[in-house]
Amino acid sequence: MPGGGHCPDCGSTELVEDSHYSQSQLVCSDCGCVVTEGVLTTTFSDEGNLREVTYSRSTGENDQVSRSQQRGLRRVRDLCRVLQLPSTFEDTAVAYYQQAYRHSGIRAARLQKKEVLVGCCVLITCRQHNWPLTMGTICTLLYADLDVFSGTYMQIVKLLGLDVPSLCLADLVKTYCSSFRLFQASPSVPATYVEDKEKMLSRTLQLVELADETWLVTGRHPLPVITAATFLAWQSLRPAHRLTCSLARFCKVANVELPCPAASRLQELLAVLLRMAEQLAWLRVLQLDKRSVVKHIGDLLQHRHTLVREAFREGPVGLEAGEEEPRGQCGGPGQGKEEVASGSCGLPVGKRPASPALLLPPCMLKPPKRACPPPPVSTVTGDENISDSEIEQYLRTPQEVKDFEKAQAARQDARSVSNPP
Amino acid sequence: MDADSDVALDILITNVVCVFRTRCHLNLRKIALEGANVIYKRDVGKVLMKLRKPRITATIWSSGKIICTGATSEEEAKFGARRLARSLQKLGFQVIFTDFKVVNVLAVCNMPFEIRLPEFTKNNRPHASYEPELHPAVCYRIKSLRATLQIFSTGSITVTG
Repeated sequence: MPGGGHCPDCGSTELVEDSHYSQSQLVCSDCGCVVTEGVLTTTFSDEGNLREVTYSRSTGENDQVSRSQQRGLRRVRDLCRVLQLPSTFEDTAVAYYQQAYRHSGIRAARLQKKEVLVGCCVLITCRQHNWPLTMGTICTLLYADLDVFSGTYMQIVKLLGLDVPSLCLADLVKTYCSSFRLFQASPSVPATYVEDKEKMLSRTLQLVELADETWLVTGRHPLPVITAATFLAWQSLRPAHRLTCSLARFCKVANVELPCPAASRLQELLAVLLRMAEQLAWLRVLQLDKRSVVKHIGDLLQHRHTLVREAFREGPVGLEAGEEEPRGQCGGPGQGKEEVASGSCGLPVGKRPASPALLLPPCMLKPPKRACPPPPVSTVTGDENISDSEIEQYLRTPQEVKDFEKAQAARQDARSVSNPP
Repeated sequence: MDADSDVALDILITNVVCVFRTRCHLNLRKIALEGANVIYKRDVGKVLMKLRKPRITATIWSSGKIICTGATSEEEAKFGARRLARSLQKLGFQVIFTDFKVVNVLAVCNMPFEIRLPEFTKNNRPHASYEPELHPAVCYRIKSLRATLQIFSTGSITVTG
């Protein structure tokens, strides 16, 4: 086959290129003599020309996966890396994304929705592993709208039939508090503002538990409550230097965004603390207000369980009467307490700690904005006769029709005059 | 709740949604011109017509499908739908009142106690879903009745389905 070569043994010109395993050789087809051999090892420059075939290309895995799905899977992995999640989370999130992609509704969705789907898969994975991650964080990272995110999230939970546990409050407190830049002195943080992380964390946790017990957390976004609790905890640890600092300034110094409802949560929490302070004899004489109660938060938290029970059970008579009204036609406080015990938790009455009688969610303590009149009793059957006169009120008379047409034409003319072509 | 509890729960129906067909094509322009209390949404291709008694808003499509919302009982919804069909008949369309069906009923109820939503969700896991970051209420789905309940911490419950 090749030209110009002679076998040194028999002189034949029939030389064949053959390879012995990976070594190429030139062999005489007559006598089998090996004329020349190739090099077994490759040099550095040779290897530069070799192309490495990736596993996914060699198995043809990516041929079945569309480009947008590949992009989405890459985004999922990137998001997990940005959030510094463990590698097992990455695999779970990728699996969820692939599962979701099999549904036609997701495959045909807009790119905006697919982008948001990436965040949903990561969020579900984190929730299932009790990793505290809020929707707000993901929306900020993906530059997504919370409405679009919430719609996609609810859809995907329903579609995949997943059981997503709720956000764990204690873990969220720890993560969120750690993001406050108050634990080291810096040019923007005065020395009096610096605080020990562990002390602040434990006090914040106690305040958040107190808020949870007194109906300030149920039904609300958790972050503003935690912000307010962190602020109070920080203030109470060195009140002398920190009482003058407002919530907004605190968030600015700590380099954390101030959520809007945090101010009203702060007022609610202070009101609860004031009620508790009234139960302590040595604080009652001091006649505390919302600023001075901060100095005594440490004492109040130490005895918080007893104080909450006492503060909300022995309300003054006038207050009790006032709070009965919003509850309308329902049973008395004693009955309400029983039904809280047996209705909401499913635990027997004896086991559940008694909820204080006057402890209500804040929205129930405010007077109702509009009185709801009882509906009039209607005797409509649906099959009565309808008289002509009743129908005539819904139809225009011919004169009215003509007037309407004239008015429309006049408006059209006025519009064309004011907007000349 | 005990079966013989002496606290009567008032459940109030606030909205009934129903649909019916007229089995004829409707000229939306004519309805918009000759009907009173109408809003013509040309971009979407529908006409909104409001009746005073019963207080109902009807969405009319040119295909003859009509959706009525705002009634406070099923009988009222049927009465309002028939009234609407009569009005369209008077306008000159060959309307036949068919396929009347109540699609959705929304009711509100108040429990005499507050509910701790996180604990409630934990105890009712597959049916209840609670996302405080999105909505202040627990969404409880009853598959067998095809109903959804929104349970608020104040004890107020909204039932749809």
